[in-house]
Amino acid sequence: MIVRRKELSLAERVYLPEIARGLALTFGKLFAKKMTRQYPEQPLPTDEVTRGQPRLVVKEDGHVACVSCGLCEAACPAYAITIDGGETDRPIEREPVRFEIDMLRCILCGFCEEACPKDAIFMSDELELADTSRAALLYDLDKLKRPKSALQRRIDYVYRINQRWRKPSSTS
Amino acid sequence: MSPAVREVLVWFVKASLIYGGLLGTAAVMTLAERKVSAWMQYRIGPNRVGPWGLLQPIADLIKFLCKEEMIPDGANRLLFRAAPLLAAMPAMLTVAVIPFGGAVKIGGVTTNLSVTDLDIGALYVLAIGGLGVYGVILGGWSSNSKYSLLGGLRASAQMVSYELSLILAILAVVAVSGSLDLRAIVEGQRTLGEWNVFAQPLAFLLFTIASFAETNRHPFDFAECEPELVGGFHTEYSSMRFALFFLGEYCAMIVMASLNTTLFFGGPSVPFAPEAHWALGLAAFALKTAFFLFLFLWVRWTLPRFRFDQLMKLGWKVMLPAALANLFLTGGAVALGVDLW
Repeated sequence: MIVRRKELSLAERVYLPEIARGLALTFGKLFAKKMTRQYPEQPLPTDEVTRGQPRLVVKEDGHVACVSCGLCEAACPAYAITIDGGETDRPIEREPVRFEIDMLRCILCGFCEEACPKDAIFMSDELELADTSRAALLYDLDKLKRPKSALQRRIDYVYRINQRWRKPSSTS
Repeated sequence: MSPAVREVLVWFVKASLIYGGLLGTAAVMTLAERKVSAWMQYRIGPNRVGPWGLLQPIADLIKFLCKEEMIPDGANRLLFRAAPLLAAMPAMLTVAVIPFGGAVKIGGVTTNLSVTDLDIGALYVLAIGGLGVYGVILGGWSSNSKYSLLGGLRASAQMVSYELSLILAILAVVAVSGSLDLRAIVEGQRTLGEWNVFAQPLAFLLFTIASFAETNRHPFDFAECEPELVGGFHTEYSSMRFALFFLGEYCAMIVMASLNTTLFFGGPSVPFAPEAHWALGLAAFALKTAFFLFLFLWVRWTLPRFRFDQLMKLGWKVMLPAALANLFLTGGAVALGVDLW
């Protein structure tokens, strides 16, 4: 491509009027609206589509919905999830005795959420992940539990987008 | 108290106040630079340390003092250590002759508001100010790094080129005022109409442009020139010695701004009130200097950097002939007794 240079006018060649024009422009910007977000005080707005860290749903009866089937463990591409199942006297018969997600490995892909047949794991809107040791970022059951109400927005969203594949009777 | 002791005491107080003011202003300038640059880019700027970020310079100072200092292998250790001092010193020395205000009377002591009044103040400023290039070139050369060396070379070539125009611009003012004494130059522009900027607009323009080049500021900051030279002459510096280069740069900016005020805008002269109180005069001086300091920042965030050949072309083919012509015309007018204003 041939770039044709524009013939400069005298005012442009003298340079000074153009400098004045540039200075006027930047001076105006001094008072422009600031774009900065004061992060810790003004956190990022999250949405139902926000795919944050995975969390385990605690149902209204106080138990986790997880039955430790291991599908999320298998689906996890980063091998971040470790589950040891155990028996329980409740009708569902199985529950996790150990459920760990290594947050340093988790890539927030959401495959566990998709794999779960019992709607027990959902991607929360929790995004902040910082600590002083690797061990502290190995989240166990206690750290992963969230009441269902805290995840409701995401649950509703997942239900909505999955409607066409979900059989009406399969909801837990 | 004997008069001699009192004189020394007065001199000591004046020197401490003026140098304290200079360093304080330099500290404020480091914050102002970041604030102004932020505002011009839709940002807020430092606001975490102290109210409105006002304690940021102190935090920076503590950080610089605590940092480890590195001297690269193969560096000339003596010159490497001396260069930052050489860069910071000239600006701090030149501020001595700047007349910040007229006679001040406090507690029966009358004194002029400047560390000293030299008969050859303008010459002194140029002579000492010219030494600033040594810090830059020695810092660049002694670092044993190609980036530093190139930065130092460019900076010294640029400073030497623009010093000519700077001196010739000042000379025209000296010709109009008939004195090298900065105080006499100030006293020649008591009222608004007498300000040299009206008699010497071209000299003012040349001086302002050359002062940007002299202090290695945008759009002539070839000494640093980050995209090409990493950090320029101070690439290898760390810790407080690194900060000293910047202290020198900011002090040089302050001196250039106050020199601009002194030479072209009547120093402490208050428009429409030639007999104003000295405090008002000092405030007027501060305000005028603050404007030129702001101009340094303003231009930095407006104009792109020159190319080095463009810089040299501007210096030698435009500024120098213009300054010479201006001096020639001014000299002729003064010799023929033509009133320039």
